[in-house]
Amino acid sequence: MKKLFTFLITILAIISAHAQTVVSGKITDKKGEILPFANIALEGTYDGASADENGKFSFSTDEKGTKKLLVTMVGFLNAQKEIQLNGQRVEVEIKLEETINALNAVVVTAGMFEASDEKKMVMLKPLDIVTTAGGNADIVSVMQLLPGANRVGEREGLFVRGGSANETKTVIDGMIVQNPFFSSTPDVPQRGRFDPFMFKGTAFSTGGYSALYGQALSSVLLLNTQDKLGENTSTTASLNLASAAISHTHKGWFTGSLYYSNITPLIKLMENNYDFEKVPQGIGASVSVNENFKNNSSLKIYGTFADNRSAINLPNYDAENTKYLFDNKNQNAFTNASYRQTYKDGLWVLNSGVSYSKNIDNLKIADLKADRIDERTQLRAVMSRLYGNNRSSTFNFGAETHWINVSNQFEQNLAALKDHYTAVFAESEMFASPKLAVRLGARAEYSSAIGKYNAVPRISMAYKTGKYSQVSLAGGRFYQNPDKEYLYLNKNLGFESSDHIIANYQIMKLGRTFRTEVFYKKYDNLVVEKGQIFDPNPYRFPTGQTDNSGNGFAQGFDMFFRDQKSLKNGDVWVTYSFLDTERYFRNYPKSVMPYFASKHNMSVVYKQFFTKISTNVGLTFSHASGRPVYGIDDDFGKVEMTKAYQNVSFMASKIKQTANSFIVFYAIVDNVLARNNVFGYRYSADGTKRYEVNPPMKRMIFFGVSWTFGKLNGRSKEADLNF
Amino acid sequence: MKKLVLSIALAIGSMATFAQSEKFVATMTEQAAAIQANYENSYMPMANKMERIAAAEAKEWTPQYWMAYCLINETFKLKEAAEKDLLLEKAEGFIKKAESISPKNDEIEVLKAQYAIAKLSVDPMSRWQKYGADFQEALKKAEEINPENPRVPYVMGTNIFYTPEGFGGGQAKAKPYFEKAIAKFSTFKSATAYAPNWGKEASNYFLSQIK
Repeated sequence: MKKLFTFLITILAIISAHAQTVVSGKITDKKGEILPFANIALEGTYDGASADENGKFSFSTDEKGTKKLLVTMVGFLNAQKEIQLNGQRVEVEIKLEETINALNAVVVTAGMFEASDEKKMVMLKPLDIVTTAGGNADIVSVMQLLPGANRVGEREGLFVRGGSANETKTVIDGMIVQNPFFSSTPDVPQRGRFDPFMFKGTAFSTGGYSALYGQALSSVLLLNTQDKLGENTSTTASLNLASAAISHTHKGWFTGSLYYSNITPLIKLMENNYDFEKVPQGIGASVSVNENFKNNSSLKIYGTFADNRSAINLPNYDAENTKYLFDNKNQNAFTNASYRQTYKDGLWVLNSGVSYSKNIDNLKIADLKADRIDERTQLRAVMSRLYGNNRSSTFNFGAETHWINVSNQFEQNLAALKDHYTAVFAESEMFASPKLAVRLGARAEYSSAIGKYNAVPRISMAYKTGKYSQVSLAGGRFYQNPDKEYLYLNKNLGFESSDHIIANYQIMKLGRTFRTEVFYKKYDNLVVEKGQIFDPNPYRFPTGQTDNSGNGFAQGFDMFFRDQKSLKNGDVWVTYSFLDTERYFRNYPKSVMPYFASKHNMSVVYKQFFTKISTNVGLTFSHASGRPVYGIDDDFGKVEMTKAYQNVSFMASKIKQTANSFIVFYAIVDNVLARNNVFGYRYSADGTKRYEVNPPMKRMIFFGVSWTFGKLNGRSKEADLNF
Repeated sequence: MKKLVLSIALAIGSMATFAQSEKFVATMTEQAAAIQANYENSYMPMANKMERIAAAEAKEWTPQYWMAYCLINETFKLKEAAEKDLLLEKAEGFIKKAESISPKNDEIEVLKAQYAIAKLSVDPMSRWQKYGADFQEALKKAEEINPENPRVPYVMGTNIFYTPEGFGGGQAKAKPYFEKAIAKFSTFKSATAYAPNWGKEASNYFLSQIK
């Protein structure tokens, strides 16, 4: 019996030994190039092998019959092949297709300065913004240091490639922000209302932007709010020369903030030419809710309310040494709720949102009532379908609708405008290969205020010319409603329009980025005032006849270089923009360079982090060549230019962290050299006298502290080195 | 005779199934030991083998765990940010699978903390907010599930060790964590010969570096 058993076992062993099949082969990519170290497995077994450096593999198996050979490799799509295992040697050659992923995919960069975690980044993360000297932790002020932006120091807003500030729209999570800045005061630039740390990513378009956005002739500034970060509870208190604030985060999902601002300490300390009747002060509160749900959805709600008051004596240019009072009580409310849901394991993504904002300026100009009220309600939904290799391609479609009420009151006279604006859009970003991406979009809009439709195409593409370099093109047509001041008086006006074409080259290698862009922008249908004597006052209320017969162009190039590599813990960026632009618009009698444009803009930003003392210092130099000066009833013959704008700013911040608290001390010096910059001139009514427009503070020193305590998120060493 | 053949057949049959699980234990024990002993070489050959086992043993969490462990640790040997992200993207899939096989597992939570650190170090400046939070949360969960897991204080200790003093880190602050880890390691017994058991030697090494 025992013998029989041994015999049987031996037979079995022999049979199985004989049944072993050797599987060998070679793994290559589609072009036949060898791929080393792929993983080859026989489905459902441990049998398999790693390919060697020549892409070759070989293994033997006891399995029999028809089996699947699975090949996997990081960066390539999985492949499989059925093979017959019958003791006969099997030879296979398998070609793997490259996935389209963050490592190899080209990115459409023409006209776009973007930073987000998912996409390849150039810059503009919250820390980039707050550590930039000369940026004063204000998003838009930092954008002004980027290529394509024109330095305009006397008022808020982004002036992009020959466009006025009205041609740039600020967009939060897809929703247009009606009042991104604190209320405008003549020749006193205002800060943005939003804290850079609210946003995980900032994208600044210099033109040729996506069909998902509209109503901006030049540019969109896209801000994407933070996702829920952990479940920690913490409190932050901050104090500086102009404000005190406290905010509390409860278990990561709820944050409430309160602030009080008053610039008395700042103006007491610093020499300035403000003449306040009431020093600007304000109170504000905001709440945000940020929650992720089990069914692959997330909800974000943000609501803020602010009340700001000030009264300032502004120069009355008609009679020397006289002033008039500009008294404003501003109330602003802004709410934005967005809901995101993914379906079918991320194959479909829905982004929807609703937003409401209201802004009231109870304004008195020289004791005359001059209220400004505006209100916007909007709804938006965008559906995205991912497809193609590694789901790299996207098809987006959606719609948005806005109800806008704006009015200006001047004593008994009320100018009001109601608009119901609706847009539908669709866009597809397709990857033909990792090297070639094409984005085709279309957008159609209707505005009830002017009773007109438009439909426009948007096209962009990008091609990878090397491992680190790429070229990109973007173009399209952009429409925008005329400014409210014109629509109050003439509702027969049509959309203003611009056509963009942009070519971009970018090379990004190991911490260094160089990009250059050439652009041409053509303006059409700009609103023109007829038969008026030219008045250069940008704050005047237009009263003449208007039509859409204006036009213009802007052309030029810009360059950007960033180096985060050469200096240890250092970061340097250099920007230069050249702009050649003329336009026939507003009350200009002919096509000339607009007063807000400057030919050459450059900036150098340097940041250095000192690990030992956990201190970051930054130095920024910016230069803008002179802007044209036009006088009252100017003949636009020989054009005078202002002197060049120059500014050197410095900032330092020191961080102190213990287990349960995180303290940041910071100090800023703006215009270190106290250069007397001139942004233009204001004229007396008869045009005989003119006065310089200067920044209200020549040199500004500002400092403060922010202290967070409670459960903190861990910060690794690396997190701080890279400041 | 018939009975004999039948019983032999049954015996062989059960041997085969026994052999399968024995093969699993033997292979995993060998592989887990090799992975945990590796510092200098690439993890990829071991990852490849683990990936095959993970595919064949869809009901076991350990192969999924070790696969992700290999990929995460491999990223610290790479230079290119995008390459690291590709590996981490793959690792994330294995972590999710491991979690679905074995929910509420302290070792998987510790691995998630490791994953968060790996993600963070690719681009610390823009990622510390999200992944710093994920790191803390994962370790907190691990400790809730099993307060005796020595890798919780160990991983916490390494993070503090590499954080500059100005940011609440430093060697002195890391020391008690390593001491706590060593104490826990002295009583820790891994559930199987191939379950995670790393960190003891490294804790001793870090302690020896602290003056």
